[in-house]
Amino acid sequence: MRRLLPPLITGLLALVLWELFVRLGRVAPFILPAPSAIGTELTAQRANVWDAALASGANALIGLIGGTVVAVLAALAASRFRPLGDLSVPIAALVNALPIIALAPILNNMFESTSSVPRRLVTGIVVFFPVFLNTLRGLREVDPVHQELMRTYAASGWTFATKVRLPGALGHLFTGLRQASALAVIAAVVAEYFGGLQDGLGARITSAAAFTAYPRAWAFVVGACLLGLTFYLATLLLERLAMPWKRVSS
Amino acid sequence: MKFSRMVIASVLALAACGTADTPTTPAPGGSGALTPIKLQLQWFYQAQFGGYLAAVDQGFYREQGLDVTLLEGGVDIVPQTVLAQGKADYAVAWVPKALASREQGAGITDVGQIFARSGTYQVAWADSGIRTAADLKGKKVGNWGFGNEFELFAGITKAGLNPGSDVTLVQQQFDMQALLKKEIDAAQAMSYNEYAQLLEAKNPATGKLYTPADFSIIDWKTEGTSMLQDAVWANTAKLSDPAYQQQTVKFLTATIKGWAFCRDNAEKCRDLVVAKGSKLGKSHQLWQMNEVNKLIWPSPGGIGLVDETAWKQTVDISMTTKNQTGDTVLTKAPEGLAYTNDYIKQAIEQAKAAGVDVNGSAFQPATVTLTEGGA
Repeated sequence: MRRLLPPLITGLLALVLWELFVRLGRVAPFILPAPSAIGTELTAQRANVWDAALASGANALIGLIGGTVVAVLAALAASRFRPLGDLSVPIAALVNALPIIALAPILNNMFESTSSVPRRLVTGIVVFFPVFLNTLRGLREVDPVHQELMRTYAASGWTFATKVRLPGALGHLFTGLRQASALAVIAAVVAEYFGGLQDGLGARITSAAAFTAYPRAWAFVVGACLLGLTFYLATLLLERLAMPWKRVSS
Repeated sequence: MKFSRMVIASVLALAACGTADTPTTPAPGGSGALTPIKLQLQWFYQAQFGGYLAAVDQGFYREQGLDVTLLEGGVDIVPQTVLAQGKADYAVAWVPKALASREQGAGITDVGQIFARSGTYQVAWADSGIRTAADLKGKKVGNWGFGNEFELFAGITKAGLNPGSDVTLVQQQFDMQALLKKEIDAAQAMSYNEYAQLLEAKNPATGKLYTPADFSIIDWKTEGTSMLQDAVWANTAKLSDPAYQQQTVKFLTATIKGWAFCRDNAEKCRDLVVAKGSKLGKSHQLWQMNEVNKLIWPSPGGIGLVDETAWKQTVDISMTTKNQTGDTVLTKAPEGLAYTNDYIKQAIEQAKAAGVDVNGSAFQPATVTLTEGGA
């Protein structure tokens, strides 16, 4: 509780200042709505925010899982075969540099406009890079003692990978996942700006903003923040469960 | 202490762009110099705005003592808030969207309802059996969202369907690809734009362009759920200033002349639009000019006059029709000066006195032949 108190107080203070700023400054709602107006909308729209968060959340989760699985497999392959590793890092960096704004419309054109696949692909691609890079780093940092031991056991490459490399790389993998979890939500929401089903937070935000219903747009933005936070906390929890040995040190 | 000074400074800075500050308007033509005016359009340059382009090109604004600059619109430009923030002197916007902005504190007034009729269609394939809004039950229905969807939702609701559960709603791009690929059963289209894009596409089965016989149209005018669209909006606070009032009458007078010019010289206006760098080509813009003219002319009361009944229908639908999230355009009836006919009436009189036909009772739409891709 003591660790949570300062940020809570700061947050509340910021909200109060914001409210005063809008009211005393007579700022028109279509420029910047007051937190109270956003709160009212959030209450009124709670069912919509929930439904939209579920839709965007599903896309983000599927993209996150898919991207992570592919990234871990790619990192395993890249750490096994050095030439592949040297080749894959710049390519991964190239993929990472693809802006969503370019990717989403192209993918949208490839699939039916009622399909959620393009959004999940965009999320997967965005997630891939941090997970791949961090996992690869972890896989390459194998303790020499472990390596010697496995060699005396005459372990196969696969056994070595699953018994030593992967558990050793878990810390790095989760570092990548922590970054990727928030990115996944952002990617899933932003990918909705470019068409497709009007079922998620991104579609709701743009629609409300184009209609100058800014308090409503902000209510959905709050929903997106909470969704991102949920993903982040879930990743932290997963990390604790996956690496019980780390809990002692932290 | 520095911090509070910063807060005050930024409050003042923000206040300057979002509150009821009323900069004074110089009397147009008073000093012999032209008054600079900015008009914010709603979309990219196209024949939809032909009348304004013509009024600039033919010098109608100039002869009223105004130097008008047109600001091109785009996907993320909301003309009515540009106007409310004082970044433009007038704006072209659809009535429902502008009323929604008014409810959010944008001080704007409809001073000229240029388009008397709505141009929104819902288009389906002729063999789909979709003829009326009721036929949309269980179908995949495209809509643009962004506040362009309410005539469709009002039509679906009026037909006794629930837009949230009886149809599958799909966010449509601002093109007709989804309908052409048969991914959706019915697509939203403006009579003057997207509908033409269908007729500019090649039918792979015949190798020729599609014809109107290939499609069926749900027209919200016949379904009784149409809403008012393109209007000229002015800054409400400034309207208390006699100089801005005069300027508004002058601006509208020249605008009327511009639209009358495009009615009588559709091809010339088409050339103006294409020269301005419209996204689509000549045949498309001529089609658009012709369709837009149909939305204005004939105009029994004179172009730009707000019709009480049409206004009421627009406001009623805005207050009662729910979209897929259960939102309405408006939560309460518009307050204050939402529209006024004061200035357009004066402008109509002045245009008439100058020999302009402001009714176009003899207007006959032309037949426009479209070419592939609207070239």
